[in-house]
Amino acid sequence: MSENSGWRRKQIEMAVATTAAYGRYLPANFLHAPLKITNQSSSPPPPLYISTNPSDVNPRQLQDLYALCNHSCHRFPNLDSDGRVEPIDITKLRIALSHSPVVVSVFTKPEFANNFSTRTEVGAKSSGIGGDWIQRVMPVMPVMPDNGQLVGFGRAVSDLGLTASIYDVMVIPSLQGRGIGRRIVQRIIRMLTSKGVYDISALCSDKERLFFKACGFGEDILGSTTMMYTGTSSYSDADQMVIYAGRKLLLVPPLRE
Amino acid sequence: MIIGNVFSPFPPPAAATLCQFHHSIASVSRRQLWGLHNLNNTGSRNANISRLKASFWESIRSGFIKNNTMQVIESPSTIQEEVEMLPDEFVLVEKTLPDGVVEQIIFSSGGDVDVYDLQALCDKVGWPRRPLSKLAAALRNSYTVAALHSIRKSAGEERNDEKKLIGMARATSDHAFNATIWDVLVDPSYQGQGLGKALIEKLIRTLLQRDIGNITLFADSQVVEFYQNLGFEPDPEGIKGMFWYPRLTG
Repeated sequence: MSENSGWRRKQIEMAVATTAAYGRYLPANFLHAPLKITNQSSSPPPPLYISTNPSDVNPRQLQDLYALCNHSCHRFPNLDSDGRVEPIDITKLRIALSHSPVVVSVFTKPEFANNFSTRTEVGAKSSGIGGDWIQRVMPVMPVMPDNGQLVGFGRAVSDLGLTASIYDVMVIPSLQGRGIGRRIVQRIIRMLTSKGVYDISALCSDKERLFFKACGFGEDILGSTTMMYTGTSSYSDADQMVIYAGRKLLLVPPLRE
Repeated sequence: MIIGNVFSPFPPPAAATLCQFHHSIASVSRRQLWGLHNLNNTGSRNANISRLKASFWESIRSGFIKNNTMQVIESPSTIQEEVEMLPDEFVLVEKTLPDGVVEQIIFSSGGDVDVYDLQALCDKVGWPRRPLSKLAAALRNSYTVAALHSIRKSAGEERNDEKKLIGMARATSDHAFNATIWDVLVDPSYQGQGLGKALIEKLIRTLLQRDIGNITLFADSQVVEFYQNLGFEPDPEGIKGMFWYPRLTG
């Protein structure tokens, strides 16, 4: 241990004693060493709790996360004038969750997630007088799903035998770029391979392709073509039933004799 | 005819040989082949079959109906959903063969596919073998399994029906938004009659009636046009499927 940390330890011990004596009050002039002002690139890593337990996910919180990430469950979503997707149907979300064998959720303390829209703010907040060092040394509540804020998510659908598909991987914008998304995907993959499933697919838009590439995904080496039902068929019928999926109008194939 | 590459035995998780083995299994589920072409990268049967056999028997022991030659695999119905879709079963085609035998082709979406019949059908279209336990699990956990059986009733005789699996398609889904169609196959001797089209259309219908709007599949190049004619679009708006390839180093 360096000399520096020994001095710091003494400071900490005094702080603990002082706090015990004065309750939560700490005199402002108590701290002698000014804390380093952190800049954007070295803002403190948020404490994270990664869960694979589906019951840790509160559907309402998840609905908010979809909105924060501007993520839709429809592959071709309706966008409003601001480019925002429509809110996700919470009933369908519950159903989807209950039928996703793998659900990964990431939580952090609310102050690391909710209050900041940019990483600069996170850095600035923690580097003021007092900062977060007191949280680091005092016996603190670890972040748990019930006291934390949902900041990341991912799920997979699988037949638990041969194949799986990953959907809806997302991290709130203020915490993107820290490898959280990659950890979510890695956790999903680990859970699938532990069940013997190795054929894992992910549908990617242009933007998502780079992300999944960094997670170890690639194009199908057998050269299969990804196809989606978009309902435009060469047979059209006057009385055909249709359903909407986002902004796509899908024709329901008619019953044949 | 299997053109053999020797693949490693069934790997434990995180083995470096994972990539090759997973590739041979993966390739089959994903591709919509119709049995027209043999894969040129087929694998030999995995060596640890005894280990798989044990788990296979355990897994189907509970589902086995003793006096029935067919294994009944339950469709993944869930109690909490409001609308229970009753599985469909109906006669798609009926014709009388020259020798007086009546042949019916029955469509069913109840998932009553015998895993041995399926394995035999996969052999017939030239797909490499996949472990039976995995096949069984995949069928059991699919959202919908559509099957075509041919029933031949001999003229005049009582209850002398010959039932054969001649086609199948299945889809996995989260029951709400997404579905992926896997393993579409039709017995080569029954191809060219529109049976495959019927299978897919019925599958799509089932999914759309449930408001499941993202329906995806990964098509081999020979069948892309077939699916286009059914309303599928390749790489719509640049959306592509990517697959996980474990790195061999670290």
